[in-house]
This record gives sequence, structure tokens and C-alpha cells, in this order.
Amino acid sequence: MAGSTIKTVYDIFQSMDYGPTSSSTATAQAWLEHQSGALGLFIDGRFVLPAGRQTCSVTDSSGGSVCTTVCATDEDVSLSVSSGASGFKAWSALPCHVRAKTLLRLVSGLQRYGQCLSELCDLAQSPSSFSALVRLLQYYSGWAQLRDTLLPDWTPRGLVAVVVSDDCSLYSLMLKALPALAMGNTVVVIPGVETAIPALLLAQLFVEAGLPAGVLNVVTGNVLSLASTVAQNPLTSYVTYSGNKNDGEKLCRATAGMGVPVSLSISLGATCPFIIFESADIDSAVDGVIETAFKKKRECQWLLCVQESVLDIVVARLKSRMAGMKSVPLQKEGDRRLVDAAVEEAQQQGATLIQPCAPSPSGASYPPTVLCGMAPSCPCVVTPPPGPLLPLLSFRSQTEGVTLGNHSPHGYAASLWTEDLTLALEAAKGLSVGSVWVNSHSVLDPSLPLSGHKESSNCTDGGKEGLFQFLRPSSSSPSLPRSSPTSLDYSRFGTATSAAIIPQGPDSSSCPRSYLQYVGGKQCKSESGSSVSVLAPDGAVLAYCPDAGRKDVRNAVEAAIKVQPGWMKRSPTDRAQSLFTLAKALEMKRRDLAASLHSQTGLSLEEVDKEVELSIAQLYDWAARCDKETGGILPVPQSGSALSIPEALGVVGVVLPDSSPLLSMVSLLVAAVAMGNAVVMVPSPKNPLPALEFIQVLQSSDIPAGVVNILTGGRDQLTQALANHSVIKAIWYWGSVEGCQYLQHTCASPLKNLWLHCLEEKDGGRVWSQPPPSLLEERWRRAVQWKSVWIPTA
Amino acid sequence: HASSCRNYLEWVSKVRVNTQAVLKRAQQIPGRNKNKKQWQAAWLLRAVTCIDLTTLAGDDTPGNVHRLCMKASQPVRADLLQSMDMHDKGLTTAAVCVYPSRVADAVKTLKAANSRLPVASVATGFPAGQTPLKTRLEEVRLAVQDGAAEIDIVINRTLALTGQWEAMYAEICQFREACGEAHMKSILAVGELGTFTNVYKASLVAMMAGSDFIKTSTGKEPVNATYPVAIVMVRAIRDYFLRTGHKVGFKPAGGIRTAKESLVWLTLMKEELGDEWLRPHLFRLGASSLLADIERQIYHYVTGHYAAYHEMPMA
Repeated sequence: MAGSTIKTVYDIFQSMDYGPTSSSTATAQAWLEHQSGALGLFIDGRFVLPAGRQTCSVTDSSGGSVCTTVCATDEDVSLSVSSGASGFKAWSALPCHVRAKTLLRLVSGLQRYGQCLSELCDLAQSPSSFSALVRLLQYYSGWAQLRDTLLPDWTPRGLVAVVVSDDCSLYSLMLKALPALAMGNTVVVIPGVETAIPALLLAQLFVEAGLPAGVLNVVTGNVLSLASTVAQNPLTSYVTYSGNKNDGEKLCRATAGMGVPVSLSISLGATCPFIIFESADIDSAVDGVIETAFKKKRECQWLLCVQESVLDIVVARLKSRMAGMKSVPLQKEGDRRLVDAAVEEAQQQGATLIQPCAPSPSGASYPPTVLCGMAPSCPCVVTPPPGPLLPLLSFRSQTEGVTLGNHSPHGYAASLWTEDLTLALEAAKGLSVGSVWVNSHSVLDPSLPLSGHKESSNCTDGGKEGLFQFLRPSSSSPSLPRSSPTSLDYSRFGTATSAAIIPQGPDSSSCPRSYLQYVGGKQCKSESGSSVSVLAPDGAVLAYCPDAGRKDVRNAVEAAIKVQPGWMKRSPTDRAQSLFTLAKALEMKRRDLAASLHSQTGLSLEEVDKEVELSIAQLYDWAARCDKETGGILPVPQSGSALSIPEALGVVGVVLPDSSPLLSMVSLLVAAVAMGNAVVMVPSPKNPLPALEFIQVLQSSDIPAGVVNILTGGRDQLTQALANHSVIKAIWYWGSVEGCQYLQHTCASPLKNLWLHCLEEKDGGRVWSQPPPSLLEERWRRAVQWKSVWIPTA
Repeated sequence: HASSCRNYLEWVSKVRVNTQAVLKRAQQIPGRNKNKKQWQAAWLLRAVTCIDLTTLAGDDTPGNVHRLCMKASQPVRADLLQSMDMHDKGLTTAAVCVYPSRVADAVKTLKAANSRLPVASVATGFPAGQTPLKTRLEEVRLAVQDGAAEIDIVINRTLALTGQWEAMYAEICQFREACGEAHMKSILAVGELGTFTNVYKASLVAMMAGSDFIKTSTGKEPVNATYPVAIVMVRAIRDYFLRTGHKVGFKPAGGIRTAKESLVWLTLMKEELGDEWLRPHLFRLGASSLLADIERQIYHYVTGHYAAYHEMPMA
């Protein structure tokens, strides 16, 4: 065999094939040898190789062992966490410019050892762009420098665990770790198999660049079990994850109830539409498809959507561009079987294939394949199989193209192709995804927020927006107390029925009033028809309110989602006008509200007057903010424009606190509604009357019916119902430890943004009566998700 | 014919080119080819076979045209070819390219040397094309009469810039007729067409009117053959092939001087149009000093030394 592979000049002259590409890995091998082929953990500023640990072998693309990494034990984790916690004191106390300089010094370190790093990445089958890493460092060094200047009321969270799944890229890992460090946090990185080696090298380079010991620790092993061990440690303040959906869900479930916030960026495996309109530069669009759709390792699964009028042209171009393409190696052992099954099934459903060559009868590779004539209901569209398969769907009109692109649980990104500027911007607006790439694809830069919509994430990475997950308002303490998960029966949470009301006897002199709840702009009873009693501070029955349940939540969400898109579409100034009418309506009814507050809480008239007054002020305040909190045009390294746009989440479920019942409700309601959301609110079961009284105010305002819905009843029952409704994108929760645990566990799938509180404020409700600017900022940031639109130009 | 012409013109009117996407694609091309050693040598020899070895200067005489023709028919030093076992493969450049007045000289030299190398001539008021249509047509006929087997015509940029595609089509059709049996290459002078969209449209019109090749530039405009512009033109070639089944060739010209560039051009053709467009019947490189650099690179491959220019036989 070996002899026949030597090609003469004449052979090549005739065939015009490319030569073999040989990539040297000498530098990486030398470093690994220097580490004796066995990489330890990186704890407290140095490599440690504890004795008696299991090891895990990292393999290259040919299956050969590159080196071994340690599988850390609980003991190692606890060492790294306490190192991180003590490192936090030193690191967070440094002045901003010192942190910035350290990050910058790593840039020169990287430039010195760039060869070694990229070879290691190649060896570990996690290719990463060296220049992208340098860009990340430079960008976050800038933020480290400016933190105190531009984010004055914010403080780092403490020790942050950065967790990535085995298949996640080094870029995604650093997009979490670097902003955390830049903001003054310390980090325990739990890399996946593919990022373990480069992450360990980077940690070493960081220490060489002057990062104090303990600020960055790297612990390798089984990602999920390590992550939950780290999360369980009370010294850990925050867990953030990037990677595939499966592991993300498991992480949420494993850490529920530990009292540590966990956020997910599902950066891998999302289905993303690649939309070609008839007005596109078809050749460039097809080039884009060829470049991105059939890669061995790709971050998302593309779905090619082509307008019918250019379908034939696109198919012809695909055929001619794909001719001569080689088979693509599959990622895993059993993939070939799945690919074969998927293709066969598609063909049975009438799909035609575009393939450069027939697949080899067996083997771990498959030719790039476009499945033409698919429908959204086909299994390979619903659950994309592995391998270089690209389903192609057609659409009739521009609007249908956007609808088609949106019809998926994923909201990571979309690529759209048109030379028509108006269409491009309209489509970008209409797509519910975090990144829209106009006439381009897969462009990333840390200056733009990367915030998957729908099930693709519940936090924002990148940009100024992405810094806030690593910060908290200086004036407040963390809202979740550390706890150990209780043995909560998740299937039974919130299923207990409320105590039935029984006739109280013949005392007819003070028959309590029966209140109605508020759904879709109408006052109504609960679906079940039952009520619960509301007690006055002295224990007497003050009133009856509806005992809402799942059906009521369903009705409220239906009413909300019907009106929310229109509400969001209205101009911010328009929304501001509506909020002014709400403020005025409250001013008109201030006596009624004060009276209900007084009877509900037993506070003095003076105090309740003040709460009403503050509530009115909140409404005016947010009406003013409506058109002030905006995104903008961000500078990016390449030519063109990049927009960052805050968008409403959709329907937000708000489970309200007991304290300051009117003010807290108004504050949260108006923050969510001002940004274009609709809300389903659950007033405190202890103090629901002011909220029910507020229905009068809502009805006499201009706020469209359905934007605000108010349901009363058992907090657990309604929390359970909100958690299990897929339309609800976010839940803001004030309640019990168990409730928080339940939500963390349940809202992993479908993914929701959670804002959890299970402590009564110790400062007598000052967060409501005198919220500092950072707290108000947190409220509006909690109420939006970000969209980046890339419009590259020459 | 008129209705097909109208269909074509509608097709021309729908052309859209996204500049940044083209520029990005162009940036990727050089990275696709990482050939080393015998692969690089073989590709360089392939490039040699695609060269239209050119001299287009006011001081051209029968003497230097003679030298050019002889170099074209033995483009690489025999001992170098021998060591690669390529000496008996009939390696020559694709053609020689001269001004109309020098066609007769070139034909004579090549005949005397028993070479079947075709002579190409620029024509139609090269390079500006700003002479009356009548004289431009006559120029084509005379060059063909003198024995030119290939005619490089220049298109009328005035018509392109004012959007008179139908008139341009008619004009090129007349050139086609005047060429008779000779191959016709249409020079678009992309440096003067303003936009990529215009380049694409001009490419389509030139092909519709019967060009065997479309060529980037005369070498006399401020901007000559660039990779982005080439991508636009080869896309038009692909487009035309997909619609009509006709394969049209591509000739970049102007400013191509280094062996490395010639490899990028081959890579571009391979990536965009496939292996068939790597042969002289569908791909030419218009160049004068390129050959010397290629020969030096081949010398380096064979001997391991870097050559001085004077070690290579001059053109």
C-alpha cells in the first residue's frame, strides 16, 4: 500500500488533487511530555497530581491517547473551592486597573505560546481560533479596567463555577470565565473532555501572567458530578453553564435547592434556520451553506429554508457546489446507524437527496447530504440526527419564511439572506432568536450579547449585558440563602388543595366581601368556583378571594400571549403613555387602595398613604424609562453594523412577596410591562387585597386587556401551574425555600429565566421603598432578553 | 433568438451580488491550498500550461516577439523537467498573446519552430475600446486573417456603465461573427465597471453573445485581476452553465506576477468550478513576468536552491 501512495509530479499534474495536509503537534507534545503525559488539577496556582485518583484518557481524532487527566474527588473540589474563596479576597480587593493589566499580560503570554495552545486544541479535537481568544482577552481587559467607572453600584458575586459540557468549545468556556474574572470574581472551571487540556494550559499561562493563586482553578473529571459538588459548597456563589441541553438540564436538577443560582447557555445543538429569500445573492448564500452546514463539528444544526421562487436555482447551485465534496467523519460510534435510519426514513417520506457520492456501505463517515422536500413535521426536522445532513424546506412568502424559522423550541440564532434592507430588518425583528446574521453566518464577537431566546438560554453572555450575571447590586445581599436540598416530591408539589371554606355561623352583621380575580381584562371567579378566605392581622376573616388553579393559569396565559406581541410592538413612547394613565388612575383611587392596604396589613394610615404614594411614583418612573432603556449600535472588529436590541421576554409569571403588598406588586408589574411583557401575577396569599383592589385601577387605565392578569390562591399551587406552562418564559418568585427548589428543578425544561427570592427582607422593605439605581437596573434587565443583529458590509 | 435574448436580459436584470460575502469568500480561498513539495511543483507546471504568455507594449518588435514565442514553446528549463520526469509531456504555455500588428511575426516564428502553439491577439481598440465600431470590427478581421487563433476583444464600457446591455449584447455578437473560427475572449475591464453587480451582468451578456472565455482586465486599468472580482465572474460562468449547459472559460489577467498567486488562481478555479476548469481549454492566466517566477520555484523544488533570475532562460 505504502508504495502505491507515492504520487509522481505527473500523476498530480494530471489529477490536480490537493496534497496531504500535515499539521505538526511537536510543541504540544513537548509540553505534554514536560507534564509527564499526565495532567493534574490546577488548584491554588499550580498543578497538583493527587495520588490514588482515577484518570481519564484524552484521545485525538485517530483514537490515540494524547495524555491523561485526573478525575477529581470531593476532596479536590473542596480544596479548589476554598482556594477560590480565599483568592476572592485578594482578587476583588485589587484596583480595577491591576485586574485589567493581568488580563492584558495574558495576551502576550498567549502570543508567545499560541502555537502550543492551538496544537493542544487540535489534539483534543476542539479546534479554536487563536485570534478569537486574544480578542476575548482584550475585550474583557477593557471591562475590568472600567468596572468601577461604568458599573459603580455593582459588586462581584464571589466564587463562580464555570461549567461546560464535554463537547463545548474553548471559546464558549472563555466567554464565561473571562467576564467573571474581569468583574472581580474568582472562578473554578470545570471543563469538558475536549476543553480540559487547553483550559489547564490557559490556567498555567494566567498564573505566569500574574494572576494570584486561587483566582482561577481548573478541576477535571466527570462534569456533572463535579459541578454539583462545587454548587453544594456554601462558598460557591454562582454556577454558570455552557454546552448541550441534556447536561444543562441534568445540572439544573442536580443543583436544585442548593440555594445557588444556576444559569444555562445552550450553545450547542440548537436548530437554527438558514433562510434564503428570493432577493438574496444566491451564490453567496449557497457558499454559506456549503461552508457551515456539513462540518464535522458544528455548534448548531442548520435548517435550510428557501423561498419557493428560487428553490430550483438554489438546488441546482447546491448540486454543483457539492459535487466533489468528500465524506465527513462522524462524531461517535453509533452515529452511522442513526444517519442511515434518518435518511431512509426521509426518503420513505418522499425526500430527494443531494449527495456528491453514494455513502460507503459502512464506516464512520457520510457524504454531505441535503434532504430536499422536507416538511416541518418530519422527524429529521423535529429531532435532527447527527451527521452532515441538512433538511431543506421551502416557503411561499417573506412572512412565512420568518414563521417557519420561528417554529422551533430553539432560539439560538438564524442566518438570513436578502439584498433588500427593509426585508432584512423586518425579518430580523420577527425572528425570536438571540443572534440574527444578515447575509452571513456564525459571526461572534464578545462585544455583542449572545442570549438565546426560548429554550436556548436563560442568561446573556457577551457585551455589557453579559456582565451582569457575574455581578449583584452592591446594596443587596444574595436573594437565595444557602441550603441543602430537601427531599421534595416534585410530582406532588403544589397539588394539595386549599382548605375549603365552611359557613361561619349566623353572624350576618359583617359578611365578608367576595373579591374577583382578573383575567384578560375581565373580573372573574376561579374556574373551580371555590374561594379561600383572607384573614386580617387579627385573624378575623376579612374577605374571600378566588382559589385559582391550573385552568386559571391556562386562561390567564392565553389572554396574555394573545395581547403581548401587540403590546411589545407598540412604540416605547406609546407604552409610556399607557403607563401614565395607569399612574393617574391610581392617583384617582388612592383612597380605596390605602383603605384596603390598611385593613389588610393593619399599618397606620400614614404608612399606607406613603406606600400608595411610592407606588404612584414607581409608575411615573417606569413610564419615563420606557423609551430610555434601549440597545444600540455596537462597534465590532469587522466592517458593517451590529445592533443590540432589548426585547420583551413574553409572558412573565410573578409570584409576589408578602411585604409591601401594593408597592412590591406595582414595582414588579410596571418593570415587566414597561419593557413590553405581559404578566400573570400571583399576589401573596397572606395579603392579596391591595392587588385585588388594584384591578379597579387597571380597568380604568389604558393598559390593554390581558397585559396584566391577577390570580389569587395557593402560592404553591399557582407556582406549580406557572412552572408547567411552556409559554411562560420567566418566573419572578418570592416564597419558600421549597418553592425555589421546585422551580429550579422544574424550569430546566422547558427552560425559564428564574429570579428567586426566599428571604423576607430584613431591612423593612427598603428594596421597595428606596430601591437604589442598580436594583432598578436589575429589574429592567430581568425583564428583557437581547437580540444581536449583524449586518456586515464591505 | 430575440425572445431568448429577452429572457436573458430579464435574467441580467435580476442579478444581485453581496459585496461583503464575496470579499469574505475571496479571503478563504488562499487557505484552501496547503500544497507542498511535488504537489506544489505539479500545480506550478499546470499553471504554466495555462499561461497566455503576453507582450503588449509600444516597443514590441519582431525580435522580442520571436523570443517570447520560443520561451512559450519551451517554458521550463529542460534539465529541471527531466528531473521531474516531465520532459516528454509536451509542456508549453497555452498561447502567446500580442498586439494585432505583431500577429504575423508570432505566427511566422512558431511555424518555423514547428510549434502548434496558438497565437492570441488583442483587438477592438485595446485597451480602451473607444474607437468606432467599424474599425474595431475590421481590427478583428485583420488579426484573424494574419493567423490569430484567439481574439481578446474589449467590451464597450460606455454601454455597460449606462446600462445598455442589449446594445452591448448586439455589439459583442458582431465581434463573434467577425472572429469566425477563432476563439473569442471578452475582456470586461472590471476595474472600470464600478460594482460587482455590473461585473456579473457584463459577464452574463458577454457569454450570451458567444464568448469562449471571459477575461478580467486589459492590464491597463488601475485595478486588475483580483480574487473577489474573479469569484463574481466564475459564479456567472457557473450560472450560465447551469442554465444553458455551455462551459465558458475564465482568464484573469493583469498584475499576476508570482508563482504563489498562480496557485491561488488555480485553487479558486478548483473550489468554485471544479477540476475541469484547471485546463487551458477553460482557464488561462494572462501574464508576462509570471513564468520566470514559476520557473524559479520549480528550480527550488528540484535543487533545493533559490535561483537568480539570470539562471533561467529569458523570454
